[in-house]
Amino acid sequence: MSDGHDCQCLIERFWGVIDMIDLKHLSIAYGDTSVVRDVSLHVPEGGSFGLVGESGSGKSTILKAIAGQITNWTGRIRLGEHDLQQGRDPALIRLCQMVFQDPFGSLHPRKTVDTILSEPLTIHGIRDQNNRVLDTLDAVGLARKFRFRLPHQLSGGQRQRVAIARALMLDPPVMLLDEPTSALDVSVQAEVLNLLKALREQRGLTYFLVTHDLPVVSFLCDNLGILRHGELVELATIDQLKQQQFSSEYGQELLSKSY
Amino acid sequence: MSLLTIDNLRISFPTEQGLTEVVKGISFELGRERLGIVGESGSGKSMTGRAILRLIGKPGTVTADRMEFDGIDLAGLSERRMRALRGARISMVMQDPKFSLNPVMRIGDQIGEVLSFHRKMNAAARRKRVMEVLEAVRITDAERVYKLYPHEVSGGMGQRIMIAMMVILEPDLMIADEPTSALDVSVQAQVLDIMDDLVNRTGMGLIIISHDLNMVARYCDRILVMFNGEIVETCAAKDLADAQHPYTQGLLASMPTIDERRTRLPVLDRTLLGGD
Amino acid sequence: MMQLSHAWLLDENPETRFQAGAGQAYRMTRALLRNPLAVVGLVIIIGLLIVAAFAPVLAPYSPIESNLGARLLAPSAEHWMGTDELGRDILSRIIHGARITLMIVLLVAVISAPIGLLVGTVAGYFGGWVDRILMSLTDIFLSMPRLILALAFVAALGPGIENAVIAIAITAWPVYARIARAETLTFRNAEFISAIQMQGASHTRVIVRHIMPLCLSSTIVRVTLDMAGIILTAAGLGFLGLGAQPPLPEWGAMISSGRAYILDQWWVATMPGFAIVTVSLGFCLFGDGLRDVLDPHNRTR
Repeated sequence: MSDGHDCQCLIERFWGVIDMIDLKHLSIAYGDTSVVRDVSLHVPEGGSFGLVGESGSGKSTILKAIAGQITNWTGRIRLGEHDLQQGRDPALIRLCQMVFQDPFGSLHPRKTVDTILSEPLTIHGIRDQNNRVLDTLDAVGLARKFRFRLPHQLSGGQRQRVAIARALMLDPPVMLLDEPTSALDVSVQAEVLNLLKALREQRGLTYFLVTHDLPVVSFLCDNLGILRHGELVELATIDQLKQQQFSSEYGQELLSKSY
Repeated sequence: MSLLTIDNLRISFPTEQGLTEVVKGISFELGRERLGIVGESGSGKSMTGRAILRLIGKPGTVTADRMEFDGIDLAGLSERRMRALRGARISMVMQDPKFSLNPVMRIGDQIGEVLSFHRKMNAAARRKRVMEVLEAVRITDAERVYKLYPHEVSGGMGQRIMIAMMVILEPDLMIADEPTSALDVSVQAQVLDIMDDLVNRTGMGLIIISHDLNMVARYCDRILVMFNGEIVETCAAKDLADAQHPYTQGLLASMPTIDERRTRLPVLDRTLLGGD
Repeated sequence: MMQLSHAWLLDENPETRFQAGAGQAYRMTRALLRNPLAVVGLVIIIGLLIVAAFAPVLAPYSPIESNLGARLLAPSAEHWMGTDELGRDILSRIIHGARITLMIVLLVAVISAPIGLLVGTVAGYFGGWVDRILMSLTDIFLSMPRLILALAFVAALGPGIENAVIAIAITAWPVYARIARAETLTFRNAEFISAIQMQGASHTRVIVRHIMPLCLSSTIVRVTLDMAGIILTAAGLGFLGLGAQPPLPEWGAMISSGRAYILDQWWVATMPGFAIVTVSLGFCLFGDGLRDVLDPHNRTR
């Protein structure tokens, strides 16, 4: 089995395309209820993948499985060259980080921006904290004056920038994005979307985005997958989305529900 | 005759920095039509909805030159008479049925309570009316749902129950404050269709307050765009794409579309708008 | 140099961690002081602290020397609160008794609150069997009535303030454990906890640096409000002869010995009673004010 993987890696390297995220036959069930059924997909390095589905489709569950928050999955989850272990996998920490949906709930209410950003550095014994914090603040477009503010002194958009900055602190190649702009005001969404797009280009990040919002996928992603009741109904390119030509009936249905 | 006339409505709240006006003198009229009030957080749109129903308590202060509903002066009404209006002639559907339905009362009883508060009816007649209205919001197994508690139904059904409660007395005006924001995308359309249907059938006026410009454009006849406590744009829903005000134009431009080709989304420049 | 000016403290953009922390403390203090009842409570507590600190200076007479010629004198210019059955000035005894009361209250708080906080946060964080074991332990201690337990301790170890303190502390910590656990459960699954776990934080770090700070406010408030109860319990123990032993001027013991004279020489039992009521009230009022300031639910953010 591992020979096959090594072969695959060699082939990928030869062609210069390495898969950064590779899910094979991922299934997740709670007791008798099957929440995710046999999902397989892959995302090349530097790529951006959007997993689209309605509530209850299992898309958030898949994200949590990749993030290591859910541990009772079967199948294979591979990030880069590492096969994820079930349970707390320490390798995960430097491989992927997550930006959560709710800017209010994802920052500790009693910690300043500075503490939130320097804590991961402290945990891993990374030196030169001051400069790294300042560089990351600049990278996400947050003025340095916000450094010692508390979350409740920041707007929703600013909080989300802090959340993005936090995810970037450990330089992970993979960023998991859980509906990163759904809870933001319309005018702020554009700023955060622009930021995410720019960061990916600058740093060669690989994005795995989960959302119900097709226009956001159209802006941020190269490929997408449509999930329904835990099953992957369609894998499509972004051009298919832009031209509104999905091969599945459900995909077309989703298109019609978007304004 | 217009159903609702609002003239120079001002709402202010005391804060650490002094008295802050959250609604700065807005005026509009509503006939028997569907009006959408759109804005982002802090625009004052929800406050406006609550002010119409006189639901803004101390320390907020509400003033207006005119606040008339069907010829009745809302501002001068006593609280008792205002209560008689609420639910019966003007009703409000709120955002999250998890929080707006009483968790310890059965659904049928809750809806019936609205009836018993405003009308004299015996229990059988009340039950029959509740069943009727549950069917009007397309709840097919009304018998079963009647006996359930709010936590036993889904979000979409909860919202439909909320609507049922708010239309049972056939009000002349319904105000819906972010009626679909807490719901799944697939259910949103369903709930909005039901509201649409009811409005068509009963001829009541509808105000939808939302941040979702596209949703409002689809379901309303006219749109008011609010920014920073003021109305910056009034237009027919079908003319939204030709909006005049830079804020509305900015909002429309900054939203990604399905056939998105831009590499960067234009960002609203608030300094141009004189906002904070 | 640092100017701790009003403007610096309230600056929206603090430049250092210190400024941010100081600013927060300043805002909270100002909010607290806006509440008149909280200020009353604070004044009483500060009064207690001053009286306890300067007892030897403030007390006009010795609290333990008896003067049988001046027994049971009514309140007068020489003895503001009268004298007790051994001729001791009651005012002086109350002033010195403040030290004992303060000591009991602080010791109980310092022992029981951290234990309760630790047990509660660990139980709430880990859940599962850890939670069940810890909560069963908590329940066992919760079910013990304080006075009965104190009796048991005294029977085993002999009467005295130290044993009284231990007895009270042992029955006080379960409440804090329950509160801390309830608070922990409200944000156990919050995204900011998931986020820091994803960044590699150990369980210890999450509990100590992320969860405990959030439980701290409700614990502090509860401790402050409990102080009244602790004072009363200590007084009860003293009343039963299980706490401070004579001739120590512990307020509860004073009431107990004044019982016999309550009809004709009411001041002997009532004065210490006033002292207890006043101090308890002070803690209650301050605790309420503190809760209004610290309780996140009251914050409009």
